[in-house]
Amino acid sequence: MKRLPPFAYFEPATVGEAAGLLAGEPGARALAGGTDLLVDLKSGKERPATIVNLKRIDGLTGVRADGESTWIGALTSVREIEQSDVVGDRHPALAAAAGVLASLPIRRLATIGGNLGRASPASDLAPPLMALGASATVESRSGAREIPVTELFVGPGETVLDHDEIITSVRVPRPAPGMGAAYRKLGKRGGGTDIALVGSAVSVVIDGRVIIEASVILASVGPTPLRSHAAEDVLRGSAPTDAILAEAAAAAAASAVPISDVRAGAAYRTAVSRVLTRRTLRDAVSAARGSAA
Amino acid sequence: MISLTLTVNGADRELVVGANATLLEVLREDLLLTGAKEGCGEGECGACVVLVDGRAVPSCLMLAADLAGRPVETIEGIASDGVLDAMQEAFVEAGAFQCGYCTPATILVAEALLRAHPRPGVDEAKDALDGVLCRCGAQPKVLRAIASLMYGEGGA
Repeated sequence: MKRLPPFAYFEPATVGEAAGLLAGEPGARALAGGTDLLVDLKSGKERPATIVNLKRIDGLTGVRADGESTWIGALTSVREIEQSDVVGDRHPALAAAAGVLASLPIRRLATIGGNLGRASPASDLAPPLMALGASATVESRSGAREIPVTELFVGPGETVLDHDEIITSVRVPRPAPGMGAAYRKLGKRGGGTDIALVGSAVSVVIDGRVIIEASVILASVGPTPLRSHAAEDVLRGSAPTDAILAEAAAAAAASAVPISDVRAGAAYRTAVSRVLTRRTLRDAVSAARGSAA
Repeated sequence: MISLTLTVNGADRELVVGANATLLEVLREDLLLTGAKEGCGEGECGACVVLVDGRAVPSCLMLAADLAGRPVETIEGIASDGVLDAMQEAFVEAGAFQCGYCTPATILVAEALLRAHPRPGVDEAKDALDGVLCRCGAQPKVLRAIASLMYGEGGA
């Protein structure tokens, strides 16, 4: 049986208490869903002396439609996001991404805050959150700050968070009129069981016949999910013709900096980046037209 | 060590376990409920799936200490007094297993599915089985077992 190494274990009841525990011990790790952390503990990749379980803290779960944004508690499960009517109505690209994150039993445990805090280059939730302009609320004993998800990641497994900071919620802005977004991933098999070889999330805002705003994100093709400013520049101010979408997709692929690993080669990932981005752009444009109608 | 009360198959069990004990370890080694299996130990294969709050979850990725007061169901709680329940009978009837390693998890997933959707479609049944892998390839017979129970002999 694969076993967990020994650790000191705490179940704090407040964010302040949890932040204090994390601050008091540099080797402490926060536990949310545990679907990544427990695997890394078993393999020996992580050896924290202390585990701080966040699940006893009230107020960190649920999805709420506020006026101008959607509030999602950091400990909300991926499955709950997948099934949330609010997320499905307002942010279908996020619901779609939640629906292909790992297998169903894992989605019931995994959390949105854990998925972001883990900072996987192949994250399924980060790309749509970035494309939708979402931000993470991060709290410590010294207060709270809001970090755009586009500015959250530093490298594989690394975020800009200080050691005693905890992601407590995610805020997704209500879509502007004429906005459409999409997410697609390519894994080795269908469904979500596989980690993305490439993930693509985009959003566009169409006013009349012109794209006035665009966000183009790729995952699994760099040390963090990345934004292709070059692709966004192609789209902004242009009509969403097939030629423009193809040009933007090529620009996105040129922004990719993939590695070759056991799951796919770099050249393949770059080629797939172009194809997936073209498809998500088409999806997003038709969603935008639907939302404007 | 941590003292906790786990509610397993409807009975409260007083336990003293390490903070680092997974639910799977406690079920198999402290409670001797060996229906839940370890396959990969990483949540990928589903052989360790049990029901917590009625939902199928991988017991190898859950701390036992985190589950105090939440109902846990294992395959051992499905039959009563040695009499198989209808789903188990349907699996036997359809021959919905070969080596049997994934069968406890598969039956629990099927039980949870039927509680949520008394008459599931094939797609719903396939979705529910997501994450419980069968290397023997018994899935078609598993679907047949579920369908035969729901829609009578031969399925829908």
